[in-house]
Amino acid sequence: MANERLRALEEVEKEIAMILQCAGNIVLELSKDKHNASFLDRQLVQFQSSVNRVENELSSQIRYLTQVATGQPHEGSTYSARKDCQMALNRAEYAKVKLGELGRTCEVMLEQQQQQQQQQQQQQT
Amino acid sequence: MATQRVLPQSKETLLQNYNKRLKDDIRSILDNFTEIIKTAKIEDETQVSRATQAEQDHYEMHVRAANIVRAGESLMKLVSDLKQFLILNDFPSVNDAISLQNQQLRSLQEECDKKLTSLRDEIAIDLYELEEEYYSSSYSQWDSTDLPLCEAYRQRDSWASPGSSCSSTQGDREDVDGPPSQETNPQHHLNGHGTASIEKP
Repeated sequence: MANERLRALEEVEKEIAMILQCAGNIVLELSKDKHNASFLDRQLVQFQSSVNRVENELSSQIRYLTQVATGQPHEGSTYSARKDCQMALNRAEYAKVKLGELGRTCEVMLEQQQQQQQQQQQQQT
Repeated sequence: MATQRVLPQSKETLLQNYNKRLKDDIRSILDNFTEIIKTAKIEDETQVSRATQAEQDHYEMHVRAANIVRAGESLMKLVSDLKQFLILNDFPSVNDAISLQNQQLRSLQEECDKKLTSLRDEIAIDLYELEEEYYSSSYSQWDSTDLPLCEAYRQRDSWASPGSSCSSTQGDREDVDGPPSQETNPQHHLNGHGTASIEKP
């Protein structure tokens, strides 16, 4: 829900840029010797619609904030859940480290056993 | 250049300020644009010479165009302020974002713990078999006070069904008698061999 309102405000920013661009195109077209009437009409319609959209959208956002805002700071937080999750990840990391040590110990033991077997075979031959 | 604006005290004043800025900027854009279009009209009769009139019109258009751009930038600043106000004061969406984040973190934590628990159970099973193999071989040098996992299971089974014979692979196992307290068996089950902290009666 919050993302939708923020996205709507980002669209409003693009509309404001469109307003200025349309105004510039209209003045540029009027500066020419021969005007393209259809182009002027299109740009003017777009200019007016953008202005209306910006005004309506910003007015509705301000109206919504008038209803919703309390002036008090929000005191919610995700700290406890984040801490629990962090501890769970630490537990998993610790288990991974211990299993890694166990694996290395087993490999060392196996190498020693193989060396002993090779020595015994050499002695027999 | 411009003195710092004193922030309004209440949220109503702030929102009224936002409304005023919106209306003023939109009005500024429309009026200045309309005046530019009117100024672009060529008039035959002028009070001053054509060159002077042209220069005046040029300067006026310049100023009005700058006004339109200034109003546009002021609108952008207003949008930025509204975004900030929305993030800080839109409690329903902040609550939703917090609960969603909590839910995601808790599900991640539960998944992590579930996997660790299943890993623990698998390792306990393997440890049981390894201990059984080790203590039944001739290489074991275990202390009689220690109770390996396999023996703990055997004794627990024998206590559960007194009629069944308690098979023990070690002859001096009588020293380790007296049923350990019930709480030690789960501890053996959890920790495997070597939990010396268990007290035997």
